[in-house]
Amino acid sequence: MSNPEAHREKPMALLEAHHLTKHFGGLAAVNRVDITVEEGEIVGLIGPNGAGKTTCFNLLSGFLPPTAGTITFNGEDITGLRPHQIVARGLVRTFQLTTLFQDMTVLENVLLGLHLTSRRGLGQALWHRHAFPHDEIARSHEVLEFTGLASHAEQLAKNLPHGHQRTLGIAMALAARPRLLMLDEPVTGMNFEESQRIMGLVQTIRDRGTTILLVEHNMRAVMSTCERIVVLSFGQKLAEGTAAEVSTNRDVIAAYLGTGSAHA
Amino acid sequence: MKPKTVAMFFILGVVVLLLPHLAGKYYAHLFSLVFVNVILAASLRPSLLCGQLNIGHSAFMSIGAYTSALLAKKLGLPFELSLLCGALIATLVGLSIGYPALRLRGVYFAMVTVAFVEVIRLIAQIWVSLTRGMSGLSAIPKPSILGLVLETKTEQYYLALVLLLLVLLILYKVEHSRLGLIWKSIGMADNLATSLGVNVAGYKLLAFALGCFFAGVAGAFYAHFIRFLFPPEFSFLMATNILVYNFVGGKGSFVGPIVGAVFLSLLSEPFRGSPYETIFFSIAMLLTILLLPGGLITLPGKLASLRQWGSGAALSPTTVPAGAGVAVHE
Repeated sequence: MSNPEAHREKPMALLEAHHLTKHFGGLAAVNRVDITVEEGEIVGLIGPNGAGKTTCFNLLSGFLPPTAGTITFNGEDITGLRPHQIVARGLVRTFQLTTLFQDMTVLENVLLGLHLTSRRGLGQALWHRHAFPHDEIARSHEVLEFTGLASHAEQLAKNLPHGHQRTLGIAMALAARPRLLMLDEPVTGMNFEESQRIMGLVQTIRDRGTTILLVEHNMRAVMSTCERIVVLSFGQKLAEGTAAEVSTNRDVIAAYLGTGSAHA
Repeated sequence: MKPKTVAMFFILGVVVLLLPHLAGKYYAHLFSLVFVNVILAASLRPSLLCGQLNIGHSAFMSIGAYTSALLAKKLGLPFELSLLCGALIATLVGLSIGYPALRLRGVYFAMVTVAFVEVIRLIAQIWVSLTRGMSGLSAIPKPSILGLVLETKTEQYYLALVLLLLVLLILYKVEHSRLGLIWKSIGMADNLATSLGVNVAGYKLLAFALGCFFAGVAGAFYAHFIRFLFPPEFSFLMATNILVYNFVGGKGSFVGPIVGAVFLSLLSEPFRGSPYETIFFSIAMLLTILLLPGGLITLPGKLASLRQWGSGAALSPTTVPAGAGVAVHE
């Protein structure tokens, strides 16, 4: 969360995807897409259903190998690395559906988020009286405090209301100390107040030095929060720009109205 | 803990400690074998936590048993060393089979482990010059500690008890550490675990290898205790039994496989080695699935809720008895 390099004078490209392509059989789910995310930005990735947003996410985070194209993160080529290796470099993602470990407590969920910086060998398991060192517990509580979940620490994750569950998903990703946090539909299925709260949290996270890339269907949330928006349609980049630029772009309007989506 | 629970554990401890003197040689023999089954069942649990259906555990017991027996018989290695070697060889074989196989999920992984049991059984059967094949490997030295041979079944019972407690202590510590939490996270949602930086394949392999090590320990003790090894003993059937201990006892808790192994080993004793054994285990498994999906450990909770209903004291139907909804972990 605290990142000394986040407040540089001149932003540098933190993430650069060049000609990213993914074929499923004969279908080009993502076709020669270029995405650049500068350090300290909040970038939105939008598009009608089936546009390839989630596939893009899976490619960037290493969950799917790209058919072609390169991905550079923080100056290093990460194309073809395994997902957990990419996480270790500071690129952390959340999921649309499986956002948490249902049958664990909220605290355990966040403790798992600390995985990369934790003590976790057989030695730790056998020789230490406490399962978790005090500093790991303290750090987890810090994250819970920050995300407003502190009072739920001992509850089972599955017993949380939907809004809190989504927040917990973000809290776990935060515990992994990302430089770039990729959020897959963080406010889907939420009412207006809940989504306001989450988007506020996203802005706070960015202000504390973490760059954000998010996929979202809720246009109001995207338009009000993201500084730059990339629009995908049928696997290709349709437009890119500020909320105002994108929302007046003819191609974008056509793509959305063409699918009958009422969001735009 | 409530005083009642403490008293129960105390009585249980005394009975276990004095069993050979209270009940005699036959029961010392029987319970030593029950302890072996408990070690096998408990050591399968880490893999099950990761969501890996391992139906090949008996193969690693077999490797531990044959390795330890042959080292003691042919090279005269002391029991402590041969046991350790048996466990280590079982672990090494486990790592070499687990490394490629753990990339498979669910039923595909299970199929590999089933095939592996058969391969190991056939090797033991065919490699006559080493294992004496179907004639069986006999006259295996009795276990010894620091050169002192444990002659009687009573002495050997205490050895089994010490081994059991050591293994359970280690497995308990590991399960209730971060390692255990990581395994559970893989079992619940492996993609999510990956997204937090967990090397899923690596941790699955660690769980698998740890299980192989303790299966090797169980096998080595068994070899020197029974003093006769016969390849078909370590069959697919035994591997499924180990799995059934876990399910019948309850997958939701550390004590599940322990309860399951004790309960089923004792009940199946009259049928041991007969065709009825398979039928018995199948019925136990089916009854568990139908009536008690959480396993025997959820029985007290279920009974308590029934009693509440029966006495008509269920004024607040929302009070769920503590044991009834035992979560997948803890």
